[in-house]
Amino acid sequence: MKQILLITDGCSNVGLSPVVAAAHAQSEGISVNVVGVLDQGDAGEMGASEIEEIARAGGGLSRLVNMRQLSQTVQMMTRKTVVQTIQLAVQKELKQVLGNGSIEALPPEKRGEVVRVIDELGETSSLQVALLIDASASMKPKMAAVEEAIRDLMLSLQARQGKSEIAVFHFPASRHGDDCAMDLGWTSHLNGVHAIFPKLQMGGTTPTGPALMQVIDFYRHGDYGKQSRDETDGMMSGYVV
Amino acid sequence: MATSFKWELRRGATVTGKWNQGRYRVEKLLGEGANGKVYLVQQGRTWYALKVGADAVDLQSEINVLQSIAKQKRNGLEPFLYDVDDLYGPDGKEYPFYIMRYVRGLTLADYFKKQGTEWFPLVGLNLLGKLSHLHEAGWVFGDLKIENVLVGDYGHVELVDFGGVTAKGKSIRQFTEIYDRGYWNGGPRSADERYDIFSFAVLCIQLHEPKQLHQLTLELLPQNRSADELQQIVESSQALKPIAGWIRKALAGGFMNAKEGYEAWRVLMHRRDTHRPSSTPGWLKGLAAASAILLVTSVYWLLRNML
Repeated sequence: MKQILLITDGCSNVGLSPVVAAAHAQSEGISVNVVGVLDQGDAGEMGASEIEEIARAGGGLSRLVNMRQLSQTVQMMTRKTVVQTIQLAVQKELKQVLGNGSIEALPPEKRGEVVRVIDELGETSSLQVALLIDASASMKPKMAAVEEAIRDLMLSLQARQGKSEIAVFHFPASRHGDDCAMDLGWTSHLNGVHAIFPKLQMGGTTPTGPALMQVIDFYRHGDYGKQSRDETDGMMSGYVV
Repeated sequence: MATSFKWELRRGATVTGKWNQGRYRVEKLLGEGANGKVYLVQQGRTWYALKVGADAVDLQSEINVLQSIAKQKRNGLEPFLYDVDDLYGPDGKEYPFYIMRYVRGLTLADYFKKQGTEWFPLVGLNLLGKLSHLHEAGWVFGDLKIENVLVGDYGHVELVDFGGVTAKGKSIRQFTEIYDRGYWNGGPRSADERYDIFSFAVLCIQLHEPKQLHQLTLELLPQNRSADELQQIVESSQALKPIAGWIRKALAGGFMNAKEGYEAWRVLMHRRDTHRPSSTPGWLKGLAAASAILLVTSVYWLLRNML
């Protein structure tokens, strides 16, 4: 199972629409969850509706939270999306067997059996979560909470019986030409990782869409080597407005 | 994440199950858990608790756990699931619900406010007893916290909200940060008996020193959270002093299961300094102690006879 978890605090302002990018992810079998981190006030109407739209296009969940709720939200969202992904697959199977895809349509006794299978698969199947972090200037005071949420997520994933890995990216990348930068490649533990985001130069634009595309690409190629990046720059230019 | 439906069932309304046609009259809202809302309902002359959820899979997953536990009732876990069905919400959509035994009682914090903290040692013992039944049946409660423990008359304890109950060896299904072993860098977030014991220790601290505990969560950097920090609150608390040793062992994973914790707690209870000093006259204290011992004996006798 593949997920992208986007943590942001506002509106994208450069390049391809993140909603389009999320729809691309969905077509690649990757669910996109979005967490909007609020300041004291709110994310603004634009930000809030964009966050919801991205998650809807990406087949995932969206939540607006303050910093203190971040860890718990990230953990529960990831868990819920795992269940949802499996549920969708199971429903597809059910459709073939029963001609009816919805679990709700089953009588409660039968529902129990199906949910047992979903729970079991949710615990044992392998899972990859790519975290994509908005590192624009306004996120600066929130990065400590973000790092904590990532460590907390790793802790929860390590308790699963199935293989679980995370990778961490932030955007915008400081280097010209990249939309996002990788901070951590696929890993199943954070032992010995002292700082996930060492000395970020935060600021610049918010290219949420292009950054999402780059993470999708990372999934597609299975690594973040220079080679694959070169290949896709040409391909991606078609999407980038 | 909180329940994702906003409507309420009104007092006096009748809920009719879609599949089994069970009819229940709604009395009032009892509480809200992560997976849904719980109402007090009546059928004929019997009171029940009705839990309605927003998501069929989430609620069914909880029901599966309850059903597995119900099959193991020989372990002293009373049957509590009576009906599973769907209802039509005020918005016309279908929502899953189940009917369980209604437990009359107060939450831990309310109970001690009303009845006094001299009940604490006994209630703690009873709670450990409940947990040990669950552990013996192969489950870990997971989301142990003040709100999920109801206390009835004479310190009788019931666990409510089984949304976090997890089979041993799997990842904890639902938890609350301050009670979570992982949050305090005290061990993995997977279901073993020591996980519940850790939460139980935090629960003791939360009951007696809620302000200090809250302060600690604000002050400490995530990487500095540790059982030692929790222990410092315990050492400096007059109320927790008698159980400081017990808590130290619990936080360190020294009790392999609730049964071990229970036995150690019981030994503590019979030491004279366990009961919190108060301004009540001596003879009253003696009477209270005597009645407490009598109560333990009778509860123990009662439990033994029920199993």
